[in-house]
Amino acid sequence: MKATSTLLAITLWACSGAALAAAVPGEAVPDFSVVDAEGNTHTQADYEGSWLVVEWFNKDCPFVKKHYTGSDNMPQTQAFARDNDVEWLTVISSNVGTQGYLEPAQALSVAQEYNLQASAPFLLDVSGDMGRAFDARVTPHMYVINPQGTVVYAGAIDSNSSANPAVIPESTNYVQQALEESLAGQAVSVPVTQAYGCTVKY
Amino acid sequence: MWFSHLITCGRRHLLPAFVVLASALGLTPTVLANERLSADHVEVRWLAPETFAEGETVTLGVYFEIDPGWHLYWRNPGDSGAEPRFQFSGNADVGDILWPIPKRMAIAHLTNIGYEDHIAYLFEVTPEAGAEQLLLEVDLEWLVCEVECIPGFGVLRLERAVSAETRWPDSERAIKTHFSARLPQPASVSPWQITGAWQQLRQLFIDVAGEGDEPPQLFPGDGGFVASGEPDWEPTERGFRAQIGTSAMAAPETLDLVLVEGERGWAFPSVLLGDAPATRVSEPLASATFWVLLLSALIGGVILNLMPCVFPVLSIKLFSLINAQGEGGAALAHRTREGLLYTAGVLTTFAALGALFLVLRASGAAVGWGFQLQSPGVVLGLALLFWVMALSFLGVFEFGHGLMRLAGKSQGSSSFMTGVLAVFVAAPCTGPFMGAALGASATLPPIQAMAIFIGLGLGLALPFLILALSPRLSARLPRPGAWMDTLRQFLAFPLFATVIWLLWVLGRLLGDSGWLLGSSLLLLVAFAIWLAKAQRALWRTIALLLAIGATLVGLYRVETQAPPTPGDVEGEWSAYNPARISEARATGQAVFIDYTAAWCITCQVNKTLVLDTREANELFARHDVLRIRADWTRYDQVITDSLAQLGRSSIPVYAFYPADGGEVQLLPQVLTLSILREIFD
Repeated sequence: MKATSTLLAITLWACSGAALAAAVPGEAVPDFSVVDAEGNTHTQADYEGSWLVVEWFNKDCPFVKKHYTGSDNMPQTQAFARDNDVEWLTVISSNVGTQGYLEPAQALSVAQEYNLQASAPFLLDVSGDMGRAFDARVTPHMYVINPQGTVVYAGAIDSNSSANPAVIPESTNYVQQALEESLAGQAVSVPVTQAYGCTVKY
Repeated sequence: MWFSHLITCGRRHLLPAFVVLASALGLTPTVLANERLSADHVEVRWLAPETFAEGETVTLGVYFEIDPGWHLYWRNPGDSGAEPRFQFSGNADVGDILWPIPKRMAIAHLTNIGYEDHIAYLFEVTPEAGAEQLLLEVDLEWLVCEVECIPGFGVLRLERAVSAETRWPDSERAIKTHFSARLPQPASVSPWQITGAWQQLRQLFIDVAGEGDEPPQLFPGDGGFVASGEPDWEPTERGFRAQIGTSAMAAPETLDLVLVEGERGWAFPSVLLGDAPATRVSEPLASATFWVLLLSALIGGVILNLMPCVFPVLSIKLFSLINAQGEGGAALAHRTREGLLYTAGVLTTFAALGALFLVLRASGAAVGWGFQLQSPGVVLGLALLFWVMALSFLGVFEFGHGLMRLAGKSQGSSSFMTGVLAVFVAAPCTGPFMGAALGASATLPPIQAMAIFIGLGLGLALPFLILALSPRLSARLPRPGAWMDTLRQFLAFPLFATVIWLLWVLGRLLGDSGWLLGSSLLLLVAFAIWLAKAQRALWRTIALLLAIGATLVGLYRVETQAPPTPGDVEGEWSAYNPARISEARATGQAVFIDYTAAWCITCQVNKTLVLDTREANELFARHDVLRIRADWTRYDQVITDSLAQLGRSSIPVYAFYPADGGEVQLLPQVLTLSILREIFD
């Protein structure tokens, strides 16, 4: 009986094919190497040894606006991270000519306008390599990575997928919750959620 | 104008949110009218009657006309996007949002689930008692997307007289009817049924049974756990199996699924996420490859060796093998021949059964495994055979002559016969794998179905063959000696037990006269054996005639005997009655069906240890379960059909239809009280 179920499992596994690359809780963060708006290169290795949040951004996406200009929720979460020595990278994966694509100079001024509080200027992932390695689907798509390089949270910024900033006070900020739990030495209670927002414009 | 409208409507509390939004998103303020509004890429209005009737529930809609290329969302929006939100206020009861069946849309690298062109989100609305005027407001939020998305916000207001009857403008009703026809219907009326769902290695598998060349579409209500893309479908013998990716999220206990075929859909709000069928044994190995099926059949056959009804026959054979133990190559050659002949016997019988199965199947007869023991004549014959064997083991007469040669000693032909015999007595001991393999072979092409039968036979014959062929293993067999007589006598007792069981089966088949007929025949044959020991040839001839005559008369009597009146089922259990079952299902009563037969040992064990216990009785009573005992001891076309609908052709089968109208659950073949408790959780 056991032999058959094992055999079946092997068959199914063989049929299902290789798993796609993605940043999945419990697994190692994918490698990346991306230049920011000031021309500095950031790699995965640079952030080993510290907690890291990675965020996907598109300045024209209503759901991104909800958390920046609509509420300042994202900058506040970034400031919370900074105050607790947590690194934060905000990535733009929009391709040239698509919504949200920014030249380096534009990216610096949008950062001002949106009150970006990340550890570095916007990372300009024009090729989309970093986004695809993470399997980032939407903006904002959020990831929390521990000092050992293991993903501990992947999904939405919070619990309400409305585009209305008025719902933020009643929503659970999953990223902040994951950071608070992690910094207190606890396991992340909600390690995966369904990310909501606009499609990443690869 | 926009703000002044809000204020005059007395919806001051909305103001802060809209101000924040307007400034935050840089939106052009939406033009708000009472009953309709225009926004980016959508026109929104009510689908409502001209007048409402007091106390009468009406389905009305919030209707979006969408620009070409843009779309709105279903309750699970898919990989990106967001479902619309509705907040009602006013003097009417408003039900939950009713979502018409959606479609999948490929948006860049992602899948969205929603609606294009136009969509009416529907609501059941009942005016409050005594209201002369119905006043309803809905606070709307939606997201309309092409590749880029634009959120929309607004308020729709409805004022209608409440009079004697509900009157619709024809055009409005036509649109509403178009969408209400696309609301998912209850699973109970669906031509597609979900027969199993399980997760394995980040993949979700869902078995859907039903007729059709194309699989239905499948939409998950929970986008967090289930991937949004189109599942991979592969045909199974009963329908299709879907394979879908899942997220890293912990698996929920139940799935919320909607199946869609053309413009019709059916809701399955709580599909139990179970284990894979290979371990759960509640489902046939539907679309597993033919080779997996064949292997299952082989393993099932090996397991059959251990079944109580096969073991006596094998021990007889083992006994004769030990007897034949000798020195050197001659003994090995002898054992090899024995083993091969036994294998040939088993395989020939399985091939013959397979051919019979195929012939009957071709002629439209649905037959189930174990059918041999549904014939009283076969039961009586087996009882007689085991009786004579047992007497011989006890030394009442010496074998080497007569019937015992059939199952007996060292002659080649008897090894062959042992194989034949093993198959027939194995039939009632349906192992779990046999159920799946035979269920599958019922619909396989003839050659593959035959291969399944041969596979089962090979499995049954294999342990014996290995023992016979391997000098190393057989060297471990003990040396012959005086202990063999003791062993032989001891082996008579399992045979007597088998005789008792067969007589009991005969009693179930024929009523009390079955016992009497069977026992009388055994008595007469025992007497004939005693008589045959006489010196004079005359007495021996009389003995032979007596034995043959009694056997023929006995067989004739049992075959022509009328079956006992059906429906005498003990206690709380009712006989199988499709009308009663549908009635209970229609009124929301849970139904438990025990497909059983007197000759099915597993069924009897489950019945005694689980189903007929006081705990089970209380459990069934507390949940008001209609208990049905479908007795398949005799062949019954209605029960065979209902088993076929469940995808099984062998028993035991335990089917549970939950009270909420959810789909049928098939329980494992070996029941426990905790399994019973689980189905009510």
